[in-house]
Amino acid sequence: MPSSCPECGSSNVVEDDLYSQRQWVCVDCGSVVSEGHLTTTVSDETQGRAVPYHASTEVLKKPCRNLIAGFSRVRALCRILRLSSDMESAVVSLFERAYNHPNFIFVTLTKKEILGGCCVLSVCRQCNWPVAMGTIGYLLGVDNATLGTVYREFTKVLNIEISTIGIMDMLESFCYDFKLGPQQVEEVFAEPAQRLVDRTSALIELAADAWIVTGRQPLPLLFAAVYLAWQSLNPTVRMKYTFVKFCKIGQAPKQSWHRSRDSVVKRLKELRDVLCKLGRELPWLRGGAVEPNTVVPLVDDILKNRRALLMRAVRNHEQQLQNESQTAQTTECDDELSDSNRSDSHSSKTPELMDPDQAGCENPPDKEATDCQLPPNHWSKRHLFLPPCVKSRKRRRVDAPQLEVTGDEEISDGEIESYIRSQDEIETYLKVRKELKNKA
Amino acid sequence: MEQNNSLPPFPQGLASPPGAMTPGLPLFSPMMPYGTGLTPQPVQNTNSLSLLEEQQRQQQQQQQQATPQLYHSQVSTTTALPGNTPVYTTPLTPMTPITPATPASESSGIVPQLQNIVSTVNLGCKLDLKTIALRARNAEYNPKRFAAVIMRIREPRTTALIFSSGKMVCTGAKSEEQSRLAARKYARVVQKLGFPAKFLDFKIQNMVGSCDVKFPIRLEGLVLTHQQFSSYEPELFPGLIYRMIKPRIVLLIFVSGKVVLTGAKVRAEIYEAFENIYPILKGFRKTT
Repeated sequence: MPSSCPECGSSNVVEDDLYSQRQWVCVDCGSVVSEGHLTTTVSDETQGRAVPYHASTEVLKKPCRNLIAGFSRVRALCRILRLSSDMESAVVSLFERAYNHPNFIFVTLTKKEILGGCCVLSVCRQCNWPVAMGTIGYLLGVDNATLGTVYREFTKVLNIEISTIGIMDMLESFCYDFKLGPQQVEEVFAEPAQRLVDRTSALIELAADAWIVTGRQPLPLLFAAVYLAWQSLNPTVRMKYTFVKFCKIGQAPKQSWHRSRDSVVKRLKELRDVLCKLGRELPWLRGGAVEPNTVVPLVDDILKNRRALLMRAVRNHEQQLQNESQTAQTTECDDELSDSNRSDSHSSKTPELMDPDQAGCENPPDKEATDCQLPPNHWSKRHLFLPPCVKSRKRRRVDAPQLEVTGDEEISDGEIESYIRSQDEIETYLKVRKELKNKA
Repeated sequence: MEQNNSLPPFPQGLASPPGAMTPGLPLFSPMMPYGTGLTPQPVQNTNSLSLLEEQQRQQQQQQQQATPQLYHSQVSTTTALPGNTPVYTTPLTPMTPITPATPASESSGIVPQLQNIVSTVNLGCKLDLKTIALRARNAEYNPKRFAAVIMRIREPRTTALIFSSGKMVCTGAKSEEQSRLAARKYARVVQKLGFPAKFLDFKIQNMVGSCDVKFPIRLEGLVLTHQQFSSYEPELFPGLIYRMIKPRIVLLIFVSGKVVLTGAKVRAEIYEAFENIYPILKGFRKTT
């Protein structure tokens, strides 16, 4: 470091790093005494005055790269769903708010993408634009559960009011998604969208009355209802086409129905059962058999008269229950009499004699086998139409006997000892663990 | 130390206070959508909070009449939130936040059964989890997965999470006394393993109960009329999540009529919440 200025001789020479080049400048006369290299080495760079990125204006001016990518993704989603420009701008601003929220700024990129979907869903709900969660999930490539957890957190954190969407709201846009116009498919398969919507909505109202809709995923039910509606509008030709074939004819995107195929099959069965129950009440069939695989041609008649048929079916069911309870009472009286006569007879005979009487008291033969899992006086027997989860119990609930304790009882030493290993056990355990570790 | 008194079994089949019901008049007749003529007409007020207070006042007035004491020591005024609802197929007035007050109540006759109690206790000393896991038969310890020992006892059938700080969580008991007894047994086991365990600050943190109203429930109708308390997303979960404000209980209501109540600190809250929700659910009972 030079100590004196050659020009004026003063010793007041300071190092100046104003420019990128290190210079020694005389304070008195201002002349440059000496300067360093213009090119820097690492050691030089560390001595310069560095401006860190977070202190620069760079970070304020330019939004995060992932946020920009998120915006474009969210706009694409809005365009696919054909939202208006107002809704699109609402979605974008909501996404920015959510993205920058402390709960979401540090999450994974996939979660940020799902967050974009949640913003779209939330704005659609607020504007009564019917979009199912399944649709958003299918567009993002995630399942409902993952979407649901992010959606719940999102609404809680940003204090957003969630409004529920009904299945009937989703119906129209769902039906219009199927490409069944006269120009798109053959004559026999074509169906004007409005007719399909009307028929499907009637079917879904019927399903709602019969407790098939509540608590269930709406999309499989919509698929099943649209399929049945399509079949019933021209049953002679369309009966032979399966659900998968129908989706191919209507060009429904495979990912939307493929995963829920099993649920669709179950809903179809339930819908057909309900239609059969009502079909049996049609007076012009005169009590003829109505089977699930042949009920489709009758759907038109059933739907036209569904209110009346429902009332008839319920009334007949109640009548049947009354008759059964009366016969049960009479057979009970008979049993009491015959029991006293049979008191000294062989015990093996009594089950055989009792069984036909029992069968009369129990379920009518056309009920499903799953009913016998329920206790005999279960309240569900009184209703004709019930949510299926009531009728088919998956596992019998065993109520453990209640322990009557005060909480302050004496605890016996023996019981506690039973939870503690003896010294031998500990040694054996340690030995085995060591051997396993040596072998591994 | 907190004591949870065991409450007497919930009284069933209480007679309704005299004069509360006009005999022969169906409770939820569509002709009288707001209950019997004895109940005050609802105030058409869009401010939901003031309506709540109004309801509370109405309820308290009715309570001061000859309503029998339903609960043991912890009595809170039974604030019936949205009472019976008009039996309409379409939601005519979804904008009205609160539906009218319940008539002076008759008991539902159904008692929610407690299914799970979660409690915590402080053993008051640092613990060596490796030693506990080694020397106890009923313990499992996998530090890479979870930083606590999981211990189980047979009677009462419960599970405990024991942390190295000495704090313990006990779950699985079916009553407050069972939870306390179980926690004491765990503390005794830890004592026998050589640690100076104490039994400090035993507290019930959560109680879960369940029951069956024995009729199917229209969840879509319920979410429309009780929008600010309910959340029903059939695509995510088949049940309706009802967050009651008073008492602060979360109810899971299913279409089959089963109801799960959780979030209670005392048993009375569960009973009270169920008595509040039962008239609402009866309003959504729909027989085809």
